[in-house]
Amino acid sequence: MPLITTLPNPVKSNRVVQALALAALGCVWLLDLGVVQPNRIVSGTGYGLYASTGWLGTGAVISLLVVVFVLATRPAQKRFQVVAVVLTVALMTLPLLLEVLARRQLPEDSGYARIGVGAGFWSLAFLLALMLLETLGQLKASRRFQLSTVLLIVAGWWLCASREGLSSLALIREYSNRSDQFFQALTVHLSLSLGAVAISAMLAFALAVAMVKRERMRRPLLGLVSFMQTIPSLALFGLLIAPLGALSDAFPFLQTLGIRGIGWAPALLALIAYSLLPMVRNTYVALMEVPESVVDAGRGMGMNERQIFRQVKLPLALPVIIEGVRITTIQAIGLTAVAALIGAGGFGTFIFQGLGQAAMDLVLLGALPTVFLALAADAILSALKFQETSK
Amino acid sequence: MIELKSVTRRFGDAVAVDDIDLTVETGEVCVLVGSSGCGKSTTLRMINRLLPRTSGEILVDGEDINKADPEALRLNMGYAIQSTGLFPHWTVARNIGVVPDLLKWPAGKRDERVDELLILLGLDPETDAIKYPHQLSGGQAQRVGVARALAGDPNILLMDEPFGALDAITRENLQQEMLRIQRQLNKTTVFVTHDIDEALKLATRIAVMDKGKIIQHDTPEEILRRPASAFVENLIGKGDRGLKLLALRSVGELMERYPQPRKREPNADGLKEADSLRFALSVMVWKNASRLPVNSEAGEEVGTVTREQLLQGGA
Ligand SMILES: Nc1ncnc2c1ncn2[C@@H]1O[C@H](COP(=O)(O)OP(=O)(O)O)[C@@H](O)[C@H]1O
Ligand SMILES: [Mg+2]
Repeated sequence: MPLITTLPNPVKSNRVVQALALAALGCVWLLDLGVVQPNRIVSGTGYGLYASTGWLGTGAVISLLVVVFVLATRPAQKRFQVVAVVLTVALMTLPLLLEVLARRQLPEDSGYARIGVGAGFWSLAFLLALMLLETLGQLKASRRFQLSTVLLIVAGWWLCASREGLSSLALIREYSNRSDQFFQALTVHLSLSLGAVAISAMLAFALAVAMVKRERMRRPLLGLVSFMQTIPSLALFGLLIAPLGALSDAFPFLQTLGIRGIGWAPALLALIAYSLLPMVRNTYVALMEVPESVVDAGRGMGMNERQIFRQVKLPLALPVIIEGVRITTIQAIGLTAVAALIGAGGFGTFIFQGLGQAAMDLVLLGALPTVFLALAADAILSALKFQETSK
Repeated sequence: MIELKSVTRRFGDAVAVDDIDLTVETGEVCVLVGSSGCGKSTTLRMINRLLPRTSGEILVDGEDINKADPEALRLNMGYAIQSTGLFPHWTVARNIGVVPDLLKWPAGKRDERVDELLILLGLDPETDAIKYPHQLSGGQAQRVGVARALAGDPNILLMDEPFGALDAITRENLQQEMLRIQRQLNKTTVFVTHDIDEALKLATRIAVMDKGKIIQHDTPEEILRRPASAFVENLIGKGDRGLKLLALRSVGELMERYPQPRKREPNADGLKEADSLRFALSVMVWKNASRLPVNSEAGEEVGTVTREQLLQGGA
């Protein structure tokens, strides 16, 4: 028995990659790769893979999927390494398909015409990403390696997007019309969500410590922060308008600070209120779950309460506290998008403008960076937590 | 010296420790023994003020412990517990070094001390020092727990069933190590156990506890010979009292010593001076021998012991 487990672990035979490759073949066959729109509002005509990219592109995509399918039939380490490289390169260069579509199908004379990204492209990208994930999992790639792969792909997309040939992509059109606003939105979005997380982290820490010290405060405090979480976010944003408006009317100097019924002030308050529950709960539970025997030993060794807290309880609780921060950060980045409704700015502005104008690419311009920020925060904080846990 | 005078501890209405008097002389090992829930841990934890007492007085070297700063008091009392309470996020070396660190010893002195203790407790300063507690076996973790208790070179050692969770062989080994270390260091020790054999083996004096009271406080031999009540008699077990008495004394005490040590015959088996009389009897019964040679640590034959001597003078 032990002999088997000490053998070098081979990649297991596995049909997931093959099934995904087949699904990808079906998707590019059935779904439109891209859409050519005469202008921003009209929905336009869809083009499949062959109509979009001709023999060359079609051949490339199909042979890619066939090669991956064939390589994945036998579970050999070498083969999976090749598959990982092939998939990474394919994902990096995927936007070039849209560039070919633009070159072939975009009417040359029309300044308003643009390329929309079709369901076929999104599905292909998504399925390729799943295949890559599965392959890296099979290869037991380290976290760092996985992260560098993601960064490579992002860099590839960034390079493709900045090429002249893709300037007619609707998403990029929307972006180049608003590049100043885009970076302002990024700044506002980040400072609102991260600011709220930072402030509520400090508050939550103080509350959790108070709850640990005084058992009697536990129920009312947890009740309060849970109650705030149950108010629908839109309602909370709305509810804060009136009191803050009244405040700034009563004390005009507040207005010079930008504190008014709408804008960043109510948004920040609401974001803090929402962030409290997950952080208070995780911090409290983490501190309470430090084994009593360890605390007892520390006290018995002659540590004072402060040393016990700083040297024993806090380090042991840290992974779970970071987990709370992670959940909260992802949630705050998402909620900040909604805060655009009360004039807080951020990527939500594009989303709601786009919804108002029925311009889906403008919605995407707001939604995609929001999702990307949330994923990035997730990756960074997960790595941090992993590092703390494995100490 | 530790003195408890009419010490009582209540939890609500329940009396956990009931008006006990106990004196632990400097350098002696006092073992508190009794069944679970009789108040042993409570007594121990009042000595280092992890629990406040309800009434009475506790003196260490004549000073009331309530007059001292509790942290300073504890820094001078090593503390080892059954669940080890090792800090899971620190290496073995850092765990052992915690009291020296709290005492603000220079790093060099602390590291030397840690190595010294690792060796004293049979751990490897190279490989074991960098391990984390979850990488240790139960026995190793307990050794680290004891090393940590000794690290600050305290005058007093408090141990709460430190070997209670170990298998019989590991426990036996650690008891031997405790005896060896105690002979070397002579710490004033209060040791809690529910195992009467462990108590008989390690104690200078035993305090038998029941329902918060001390029933009898005496040397192991007196406890065995003259149990104060049916409870104590039951605890030591009526059947093998004789064997337990034999276990208290060593071959060296009873043997007939030669005027001159003799050269030992090669391969001849024999007893060591430190072996217990119980062990000697067992070997005789097994080998059907009526006389066995006794060898010194140096390997010379220094005397003999006979079955007659054992049966007449042993217990
Ligand atoms: N913190 C506590 N709160 C209430 N009762 C306790 C507490 N600690 C111990 N006791 C009670 O005191 C008695 C003695 O406990 P303890 O000293 O731990 O016993 P032992 O160590 O001999 O097993 C037990 O009945 C136990 O239930
Ligand atoms: Mg106990």
